[in-house]
Amino acid sequence: MHRREFTKMMGLLALPWPGAALAEAGDDWSAQFARNLEEHPWLAAWGNIERDHYQSEAEVSGNWPEALRGVLYRTGPAQHEAHGWRNRHWFDGDGMMHAWRIGADGVRHEARLVETAKLRAEREAGRALYPGLAGSPPDPAGLSGPDDLNLANTSVLHHHGRLLALWEAGSPYEIDPETLATKGPYRFPEADGGSSMRGVPFSAHPRMDVDGSVWNFGYASSAGLLVFWHIGADGVLLRAGRIAVEPMTMPHDFVVTERHLLLLLPPFHYRPRANATGFLNMHEWRPEDPCRVLVVDKNDLASHYFLELPAQWVFHFGNAWEDSAGIIRFDAARAPDPGIMTDAFSAIMRGEAIASRPASHYAYRIDTRARTVSEEPLVGSDVQTEFPCVDPGVGCRRYRKLVMLSRSGEQPLGHGALNEVSMLDVESGRRDFFRYPDSQIPEEHLYVPRPGSEPESRGWILGTAHDWRRGRQMLNLFHADSVAEGPIAAAELPYAMPLGLHGKFVAA
Amino acid sequence: MNSSNLCRAIALTLALGVSGAAGAETLTIVIEDIREASGTIRVRVHAGKAQFDGEGSVAQFLEPAATGSITLVAEDLPPGEYAIRIMHDVNGNDELDTNFVGAPTEPFAFSNNARAMFGPASWEDARFTLEGEVTQVISLKP
Repeated sequence: MHRREFTKMMGLLALPWPGAALAEAGDDWSAQFARNLEEHPWLAAWGNIERDHYQSEAEVSGNWPEALRGVLYRTGPAQHEAHGWRNRHWFDGDGMMHAWRIGADGVRHEARLVETAKLRAEREAGRALYPGLAGSPPDPAGLSGPDDLNLANTSVLHHHGRLLALWEAGSPYEIDPETLATKGPYRFPEADGGSSMRGVPFSAHPRMDVDGSVWNFGYASSAGLLVFWHIGADGVLLRAGRIAVEPMTMPHDFVVTERHLLLLLPPFHYRPRANATGFLNMHEWRPEDPCRVLVVDKNDLASHYFLELPAQWVFHFGNAWEDSAGIIRFDAARAPDPGIMTDAFSAIMRGEAIASRPASHYAYRIDTRARTVSEEPLVGSDVQTEFPCVDPGVGCRRYRKLVMLSRSGEQPLGHGALNEVSMLDVESGRRDFFRYPDSQIPEEHLYVPRPGSEPESRGWILGTAHDWRRGRQMLNLFHADSVAEGPIAAAELPYAMPLGLHGKFVAA
Repeated sequence: MNSSNLCRAIALTLALGVSGAAGAETLTIVIEDIREASGTIRVRVHAGKAQFDGEGSVAQFLEPAATGSITLVAEDLPPGEYAIRIMHDVNGNDELDTNFVGAPTEPFAFSNNARAMFGPASWEDARFTLEGEVTQVISLKP
């Protein structure tokens, strides 16, 4: 980066929400992005899709194990530009659902844009209509509720035979698992036959419990309510609960133990105001306030208490568990502030890489009897982490192996994104990792257990990467216990896709 | 809308009562994009911010829902600042149904097609001046 650009960016950082401020100024983000892309070709990972539907056989190499059969479903923001409007935030892109089908005859990829109500309304109007996290197109349309903005672009839930594309603040979207066609917003049948959960936010990181039931939460900012969902293994909503939180924040993920649901509530306070441009702009970071820890009783969703940690920002947790003495342990990718979301993920849409304070991995301990909480680093301070996950077989229970993306040590800056896949033993602290070449930007990598094996005993790590130099999307497979040796098998597409977010592997 | 509907709408206005000092102004309300022919379209005309933000209205309409659009006329209103709230009570239970977090689950709209952004529209966005004959065309498109 040139010094002049850098100086300009430092100036921008002084503004509370640079994305929002610039959106109002009516600049041309698309042209800025195109100019910066010429100088930094890795920005292609934040480029636009070229069509609504992609389909191709992948070119496979290495040894794809016969025992690994199934589909990796992934979603992410993909349409960053439409109707002459480039989104002002990475997370404001219309969602695209991907399926990587791993079978006896090879690996096949398909991806289809999710036909949300928002996508349809904007296509009908022939223009961008709705504000996003950052920025608002000119003359935005009115809203009847958060689902008007639903992008179905964040994560995937596959449960009771149903494939759902999840956003953070609205309804799940049901997707046909075979054709990837959009069926529409999905409402879980309610055990009492009611419809009170219509339009109630269903967050992007539901947790599967050991009995096959699913827990989730949602936040309704204007109502000041956190909502909890418990969906039975048969797909029927068993129970819902709600807890008033003042001030509301933007919790993205949560964890579940044998007895509790846990949320971290960073001091990113919801402060609604007229003329806000974008949803982030309706929040205020208050680092002098604590990060509240909400502990909820699974058996009584109204029963809860709050603990306090120093101010921090957390997108994602790996897992959590609770012992018979009432000690809860969990882990999270902990950042000192939400700057990566508020500033960096907006600036990247103009093709500008601005420094934010990265997340690193922490272990947390709650004593539910003494009602205390503490935290300590799980990795060295030179290790950045994100996208933590575990073997689904140990979800909500004691675990040891944590898979995540990372970036560690002294490295040339390159694209600056996380560039390693790590396997961390949370008990011993040992970390093995594979570092991708600079030409590839990895996306989330998942732990996939070998069918029939004991949890965390034999498995693989499966993940995608964007090769910006060759314009290809990759699917890579590692042995879970020897990730440092690199991929044992790969599949490569004749095209690259914008960086996505989360996925789930569904074994055949 | 046919003329018998229009007449009925006027009759309903009178029946429900236009309170306060009678005036000579005429307010025509065209409600568009009604999706379902079930339940009732409920309209309240508020005079001033206090009524809009609180309770009370100077005119109310209860009109059986018909798909497409309907036209309602409130006559003999005094000149002044007004705002309109419209809801489609699809299931006819006499209230705007809300979900578990209090968000409306039935169509609603405001005068000027004022935008609800993470909450109801504001008086400032929904207000209009009634002087002579005024027509408000309001969409119930969700």
